[in-house]
Amino acid sequence: MTVSTQERLTRAVGSSSRPRGRRLQAPGLPWILPALVLSAGLIYYCIGYTGYISTLNWDGASPDPESIALRNYANIANDPVFWGAIWHTVIFFIVTFTFQTALGVLFAVIMHSRIKLAVVYKVIIFVPVVLAPAIMAPVFRQIFAADGQLNQVLHFIGLGFLAQPWIGQSSTALPVIMVITIWQWTGLTFVLYYAAMSQVDQSLIEAARIDGAGNIRTLTSIIWPTLRGTTLALGILSAIGALKTFDIPWLVTIGGPNNATQFLGTYIYQMTIQLAHVGYGAALSIILLVIALAMAILLQVFGRERTGLERTAGIGRRGRRQKTGAR
Amino acid sequence: MFEVRRWWSKGLLQLLATVLVLPYLFPLIAMVQGSFAGAGWANYRDVLAVPGFFRFFLNSAIISAGVIVLVYAVTMLAAYGFAKLHIRFREVYFWMLLACLTLPEVVLLTPLFVTTQALGLFNTYAAVILPLAALQIPFAVLLTRNFINGLPDEMFEAARVDGANSVRGFFALIVPLTRPIAAAVLIFTLIGAWNDYLMPLVFLQSQDMQTITLVPQFFVGEFSNDQTKILASAVLTAIPEIVAYLCLQGMFERGLAAGAIK
Repeated sequence: MTVSTQERLTRAVGSSSRPRGRRLQAPGLPWILPALVLSAGLIYYCIGYTGYISTLNWDGASPDPESIALRNYANIANDPVFWGAIWHTVIFFIVTFTFQTALGVLFAVIMHSRIKLAVVYKVIIFVPVVLAPAIMAPVFRQIFAADGQLNQVLHFIGLGFLAQPWIGQSSTALPVIMVITIWQWTGLTFVLYYAAMSQVDQSLIEAARIDGAGNIRTLTSIIWPTLRGTTLALGILSAIGALKTFDIPWLVTIGGPNNATQFLGTYIYQMTIQLAHVGYGAALSIILLVIALAMAILLQVFGRERTGLERTAGIGRRGRRQKTGAR
Repeated sequence: MFEVRRWWSKGLLQLLATVLVLPYLFPLIAMVQGSFAGAGWANYRDVLAVPGFFRFFLNSAIISAGVIVLVYAVTMLAAYGFAKLHIRFREVYFWMLLACLTLPEVVLLTPLFVTTQALGLFNTYAAVILPLAALQIPFAVLLTRNFINGLPDEMFEAARVDGANSVRGFFALIVPLTRPIAAAVLIFTLIGAWNDYLMPLVFLQSQDMQTITLVPQFFVGEFSNDQTKILASAVLTAIPEIVAYLCLQGMFERGLAAGAIK
């Protein structure tokens, strides 16, 4: 009662010293409860359960599994496949992020340069984002097979000596997974950069032109620095994406050959479901979780940059107006 | 951005764009071409003749619809609560949700497997819908809360002065005013649910429950690895997604860009 009277008073006076969030006295807890129960409840329950299982030597079926404390984690520390998966994730992130950024910026610049058929190009680049990796996987298995279309094309253009069993050998399997991922996500990178470039101050570009800067110089000195927020957010996004990688390496190469395309996701799946080392898989899950959580904290640290990205993506109300204005 | 005035530099840029785009088109061409290899249209006839082929689409549609309805309802309620209502320790609850943002779904496998079997939910739609919704909600709430924060407080105060309680405020103000952000949430939830592979793979065992992402695997068994028919089935499953995108281009690009900020 007293609070509400006081609040009404402050409002009447027009002071804005009250913290926001008490505009309606209605308690908000019932409103957020469904989200908390469904999302936080289910996920924290699962994490707790996984944490418990990770201390067991369990095959997933036996009624009383043996408790082995932290031995699963000790074994993981000495597991070359695990360290291989970490290594693949890092390489995968660096390569896919670099190529996606370069291609995304390049496409965005080209599409901003009034070329013909821009809509057609945009659709072609963006369609892969919409398609399910699981559906495209058999297509890529076919393309990169020893007698697949890629080798046929290489023979056709006179580069037949380059033909090789792309997914059948350790040296080329991981690059194939990266190529597929780059193919899939460039469209999204492009759309975000395209929107960000719509907001680059045109007078800056004019000024640079008058000062005698060429196309390349304008791109590197004027446009690229203003895209920093977008690039940073895309970097975090790619890093998290690399941690989550599962569908493509699982369906195209099954983590092989000889673990050459093993990622944390595929390794956990293989351990848990196929080999029934459920305790070991759970310990791997907890490690993956800790890394992902570290990424989440990083995401929050760069939260400011992210809101910048939201604007470029044309979401918030203000952003929408800006985007349409830029067009 | 680039200034190209002369005809040859215009042509050069056009050529560069074409050369760069071709590799993106290549897999789609390879897919269609491969699906016609050998028997031609008969590949499609055989795939369509498989009993229960449309069941995969129906299952994907049911699961996506379930996830969307659940995510939309729960997100709108929570975002309204977080943005405009009084909650003690509000930021603590918010951080509890945000911590789930980057969670890889593979981490949930074992506990969900054990729990769904104990509850008799294994091999039901709920076993896939609930975890997928749980994974989408934190980000949807983050996005929608930011959006509702941007709506002027005066509007909600005016509604209250006019005697509207919070429920009335929700239906009269939040639901209509959040349409732009709801469209984005809808799209990235739809794509996330429709394209998900791991959850249906583990939790939907009987064939009449399975989704379109499991179609290639099903046909590997059905046609004993006849690639042409597998590719025909891939084309057929890709068509609805491409058509949906072509019809709602702007909405898809905005929605997926929003979903990507995760």
